[in-house]
Amino acid sequence: MIEFRQVTKRYDSDHTALRQVNFHLDRGELAFLTGHSGAGKSTLLKLIMVMERPTAGEVVVGGQQLNSLPKRQIPYIRRHIGVVFQNHQLLFDRSVYDNVAMPLEVMGASPNDIGRRVRAALDKVGLLSKEKMNPMQLSGGEQQRVGIARAVVNKPPVLLADEPTGNLDPALSADIMKLFTEFSQVGVTVLIATHDIALINEMGRRQLTLDHGRLVTSSSAAATGGVRG
Amino acid sequence: MGSDSRQKTDHRRGAANRAKSPLNAQARSYLDHHRKVARDSARRLWRTPVASLMTWAVMGVALALPLALLLLLNSLQGVSAGWESSARITAYLAMDVSLEQARAAAEEVDTDGRVFSVQLVERDQALAEFRASSGLSDALDFLDENPLPHTLLITPQDSARSAEGVRALVAFVEGMDGIDRVQVDLGWLQRLNAMTDILARAVWALALLLGGAVILVIGNTVRLAIENRRDEILVAKLVGGTDAFVRRPFLYTGAWFGLGGGVVAWLLIQMSLWWLNGPIERLAGLYRSEFALQGPGFDGAMALIIIAMLLGWLGAWLAVKRHLDDIEPGDIAGG
Repeated sequence: MIEFRQVTKRYDSDHTALRQVNFHLDRGELAFLTGHSGAGKSTLLKLIMVMERPTAGEVVVGGQQLNSLPKRQIPYIRRHIGVVFQNHQLLFDRSVYDNVAMPLEVMGASPNDIGRRVRAALDKVGLLSKEKMNPMQLSGGEQQRVGIARAVVNKPPVLLADEPTGNLDPALSADIMKLFTEFSQVGVTVLIATHDIALINEMGRRQLTLDHGRLVTSSSAAATGGVRG
Repeated sequence: MGSDSRQKTDHRRGAANRAKSPLNAQARSYLDHHRKVARDSARRLWRTPVASLMTWAVMGVALALPLALLLLLNSLQGVSAGWESSARITAYLAMDVSLEQARAAAEEVDTDGRVFSVQLVERDQALAEFRASSGLSDALDFLDENPLPHTLLITPQDSARSAEGVRALVAFVEGMDGIDRVQVDLGWLQRLNAMTDILARAVWALALLLGGAVILVIGNTVRLAIENRRDEILVAKLVGGTDAFVRRPFLYTGAWFGLGGGVVAWLLIQMSLWWLNGPIERLAGLYRSEFALQGPGFDGAMALIIIAMLLGWLGAWLAVKRHLDDIEPGDIAGG
């Protein structure tokens, strides 16, 4: 579903964010992306979202080669990728419902359709009773779940998460991870960038580790994460 | 057997519906979306009434000024058209035309449908008048014979008092036997026309400049709106909103600003008319003129509002074009 072939991303002559990164994630796979600050995790996610273009190599998402994608087409690619942010990027000038509805609105879905799907997504994250509230009234964990509902409301085949549990306590983090696992079980490819080693070890899933822009681990044996290659 | 075939038709109808409905539904949801965005943009303007009113006032003044001048110009052109109609035609007969022939010519002209009245000024009578009014009687005594021809003073009918009508009548009189020269004294009118032409150009130049100013004002206001809604734009782009989707609310905002500005401009014009009309009527009365300031009328008001909305839309479009590309979601995914 997501494939990187010899991807290099250089910002300017002295800063190379990614060096010849190769990996492949299948449909329904859940993987963690780890590494120190500045190792290139965000750059890797941005390449998938087409917020950045690779300097060399190929990025393929859902069979679509992103390098040569015209700018006009970018929005249509993003509709197939759900994203969850650490700071959740919710809009506080509208209700929970309207926040979650945004991906459907940009697609031009009918109001009935939007209502049905938004409620299904909110139900999935356990916030159906709070659809009319302003996100500001919710707790951090609830806000993060609203962000997840928005990311999955249009059933994208790919779900990216950037430090989704960064501000949450372990119990809430476990809840969130359970949600991600459920999505991967129905065929969504999930890639989670995180620092939370304890969480990764607990999950025992595939781990992609970046070190100064190089992919050093791409194994499914997650526990140690120190193999250099 | 029967139920089977019914099932088949049901199935076929279902398929047809399914094939038709997505397009229909799409069009409907597109229109719904437009309506929603338009309503939402208008509501946002209402939520900051003072700021919106200020923008409307600025637009209103900028639009009212050239419009007022255009209306003045229109009224002036109406005046010159009115005075053109009161023109009298002077036809000089040839020197060798006798008095009898001149009378016949006057009668012939008088029978023309376009002519209201004809006055024949005989050469002797003309000389006497000239002698009396010019004070050159001594000089005139030296002349062997009367240098003045018989003259016809022709006043056209009301119906012929247009520029073309007068011109046609002049051509007809010129074509008659024994007519030497036909004169319509429109010199001062031509000067007035030349001046209104200059004024017209100045007004259009001013209108263009102020239209540009309106576009800039709206552009700047919309730029601020874009800054205020930065987060929303980022999220819309993140979840796959096209440029058109992101642009739409701001274009509506610009159009609503234009609508308000157009209405303010119309109000300003109406108020000025009401305020000026009394004194102008008095002045025109003193000149025995029918001059009156003309308002924009219903069509004019509609045109004003539509133009204002277009200008607002254009200003918003320029701002959006310039600033939306600056807002890319690249910077929210930190570190």
